[in-house]
Amino acid sequence: MTRRSLLGAGLSLTFIGKAQADRYDRVAVVDWAMFETLLALNVVPVAATELVQFRKISIEPSVPPQVADLGLRGSPNFEMLQLANPDLIVSSPWFAWARGNLERIASVASYTIYEPGRPPYAAAEEVTKALGERLGRAEPASAYVDASLTEIETARRTLSERNARPVYLINLGDARHFRAFGADSMFGDVLTRLGFTNAWSKPTSYAAAAPVPLEALAEVPEASIAIVSPIPSDAQSTLAQSPLWRALPSVREGRVSVIAPVNPFGALPAARRFARLLTEAFSGNGKPIHG
Amino acid sequence: MVDALTQRPSTWAGILAVAMALGLCAYQVLNLLPLSGAQGFDLNRILLFNSVLPRAAVALLAGAALGLSGALLQQVLRNPIADPSTLGIASGAQLAMTTATLFAPALMDTSREVVALAGGLGVVALLLALAWKRGLEPVTVVLAGMVVSLIAMALSATLILANGEYMMSLLIWGSGSLTQQGWDHVQAIATTLALSLVAAFLLARPLAIVSLDDASAKSLGVNLLWLRLLALAIAVWLATTVTAEIGIIGFIGLAAPTFARLFGARGQKDTLIAAPLIGAVLLWLTDGLVQLAAGGSAEMVPTGAATALLGGPLLLYLLPRLRFLRRSPASLPPASERRITRPVLPLITLLLLALITIALALIIGRGPDGWSLAAGSLLDALLPFRAPRILTAAAAGAMLAAAGTILQRMTGNPIASPEVLGVSAGAGVGLAALLFALSAPGMGERLLGATAGVAVVLVALLAIAQRQEDNSERLLLGGLAAGAFCNALVNAAMITGDARAFQLLAWISGSTSQVGWTEAWIVLAVAMVLLGLLPLLTRWLAVLPLGSGQARALGLPLRASQTILILFAAGLTAAASLVVGPLSLVGLVAPHMARLLGFGQVRQHLLASILIGAGLMTGADWLSRIVTFPYQLPLGLFASLIGGPYLVWLLHRNR
Repeated sequence: MTRRSLLGAGLSLTFIGKAQADRYDRVAVVDWAMFETLLALNVVPVAATELVQFRKISIEPSVPPQVADLGLRGSPNFEMLQLANPDLIVSSPWFAWARGNLERIASVASYTIYEPGRPPYAAAEEVTKALGERLGRAEPASAYVDASLTEIETARRTLSERNARPVYLINLGDARHFRAFGADSMFGDVLTRLGFTNAWSKPTSYAAAAPVPLEALAEVPEASIAIVSPIPSDAQSTLAQSPLWRALPSVREGRVSVIAPVNPFGALPAARRFARLLTEAFSGNGKPIHG
Repeated sequence: MVDALTQRPSTWAGILAVAMALGLCAYQVLNLLPLSGAQGFDLNRILLFNSVLPRAAVALLAGAALGLSGALLQQVLRNPIADPSTLGIASGAQLAMTTATLFAPALMDTSREVVALAGGLGVVALLLALAWKRGLEPVTVVLAGMVVSLIAMALSATLILANGEYMMSLLIWGSGSLTQQGWDHVQAIATTLALSLVAAFLLARPLAIVSLDDASAKSLGVNLLWLRLLALAIAVWLATTVTAEIGIIGFIGLAAPTFARLFGARGQKDTLIAAPLIGAVLLWLTDGLVQLAAGGSAEMVPTGAATALLGGPLLLYLLPRLRFLRRSPASLPPASERRITRPVLPLITLLLLALITIALALIIGRGPDGWSLAAGSLLDALLPFRAPRILTAAAAGAMLAAAGTILQRMTGNPIASPEVLGVSAGAGVGLAALLFALSAPGMGERLLGATAGVAVVLVALLAIAQRQEDNSERLLLGGLAAGAFCNALVNAAMITGDARAFQLLAWISGSTSQVGWTEAWIVLAVAMVLLGLLPLLTRWLAVLPLGSGQARALGLPLRASQTILILFAAGLTAAASLVVGPLSLVGLVAPHMARLLGFGQVRQHLLASILIGAGLMTGADWLSRIVTFPYQLPLGLFASLIGGPYLVWLLHRNR
């Protein structure tokens, strides 16, 4: 144990940018964005966090049954992680507080996708490539990055006639408040890449603005609204009767669509899923919500 | 009443407040003119009629409802600091609504008010059960309210944490937003308020008789019990309706009746008229200021947090002006039934039990394949994660138990427990500030932030202690005010609903799973030093409860010794709550258990409590690790599962 933790500490000092293609057989992951990136690269981790919620919110990529559940992201179970006996743990700055304990178990590779004020898509590409290199899967990684670009480009062309209106990307908090996804969110970045203008131009911190009252949606009257699920059950019926909601130009004119859940703090797989869902919604196949 | 008002300069303050609130509202309306936009739709008209005006109406009505609720609560309980937030009614409603959101979402859709009312009534019933024996004595009622609301908070946090990000609505709701988009909320609150006002005035005369005293009221043939219960129920209904409709708006219920009295309202009826009016203006004005401050930024600024900013200082201002009822002296659970004369053997037994608990917690665990007894290399592999958290839990339990013993002995109040000092809530504010200032703080930085928060609250407590002579209860209430104030700030910080909010929630619900060796050593070292100094304080603890006269006769520096004891308890609580969160029911329960076992003498009582506290906390930590493996439950959940029922039993038993 002590020998390994010593080794782990030594390794982790030199983690990023070192282009040595170590062979890791047992990779564990605590961050969801990293988790879906690994799955996209066909690396099945031995353990990952909060699988119950992941299956509900991220939905794809689907989680192979042999992945062990490490419990809540807020308090990953270090004992379980230890018993999974990984040789590499993939993490992110959200888990900076847990670094000491993680390094005790195996070497830690930490990558950053989300930073306030920075559109995350390019960072997700970088991280995918870096992870690929680190795990000896450089080629699949760059292939995945290219495939993602192609998918988004295709989607952009599909939508090229429908992207004149700016779009509000929101997540409903309750019947009175929403959370807006801005330029530094994955959704916002993909939206721009699809050729749309984000109707939310105000600053956001960590991808989404804190709860905003609904009337803020009136500031760009010509915009459309895309609601990312899930919608709280009481909000659904309250909204349908809300005079203010029904009076919003976009609601009155039927420019509101609801898209299925996507992990708001994901990597390329989430970006692709979002692009696909948004394309479906805007090319008329999406489930319309009526005010 | 009008005469009384016009003769006072405070009338001018009232008129000024109304004028300001009106001005702010007019400003909101003028901002929307002209009503018809150029684009061919009249959005501004819609905003005016469905957002701005209903918001003003809701502020006025909710303020009035809370004011009336506070006035009723204060009269019925004869308690000048009773209000929906200090009594935990709001937290009870929150817990009920969180539970309903998770397990019966349809219920929340159709009957949120009923759910909230059930939660609020539950809390009040519990409070009555807890404090009945002591004649609903104000300090006990409020202390019990604090404890109950902390338990409710921890349970809500557990539920939210276990269900991920999609509990954003509950976070919004917890920080109280007056945002409106129609007249639904206005109608709901107006209906409740109207019915309650009628009922309150029908009850006003009999209530005035109640306030004479119980004996003369009975001789007048008033059915006391039912009258008081009815008035209580109305107050709870008012408060929970507001919480169900718009969220937690703290302290208006406290401030309104207080201002009414300051403005010269004398009788029951005066207060019942003035408090709703003042509450209405107060909330309207606060909300106007909040909207003004929000200005261009679209983000929602929680009005509930702003009213808390008002309430904390108000409580501190009130404390020196309160007159407390003299209590009956027999308050701690009697230890005489079975007094231990030779304490060595029982103490060694307790020590062994605590050690065995710690050892079992180290060895027994669960793995992917079910239960496992760790030994040899498996134990070696797991020890770096188990040992720090178990040691930390034990040390924290020991410190909380010591703090609880000191507080209970010093104040003679059996419900005094460490969290009432407010220092742990201070740690929460420090932690929140740090999480929002740094992008990815490590564990060391988090400890520093929390310590800074604790230090600020300690200084505030010390400032109160300097001004007070011989009233440790006021000190407790000062701590309570600081705590409620800090909790409101933490609630407001959580509204972002992002990862930082979840880290705060994790701390509130109590979690030792993040503790490593560094933190464990720090906590252990602090525990050793502070607990090691305890023997120096035992003489004070033995003498102080006898009363100030006795203490002076024995040559005790009264104020200095009280201050030092409080600081000591605060230090112990702070060190513990940095790692186990603000919920410290172990500190309430352990001293009682020690006493019930027969450890009466101060030194033995302290030692036994410490051992029991260490064992209890270790057990709670073990449960939190085991029950839903690999998902870890918050420590606070089990601490309340141990503490809550005990509390109820304790007060019931005394009857």
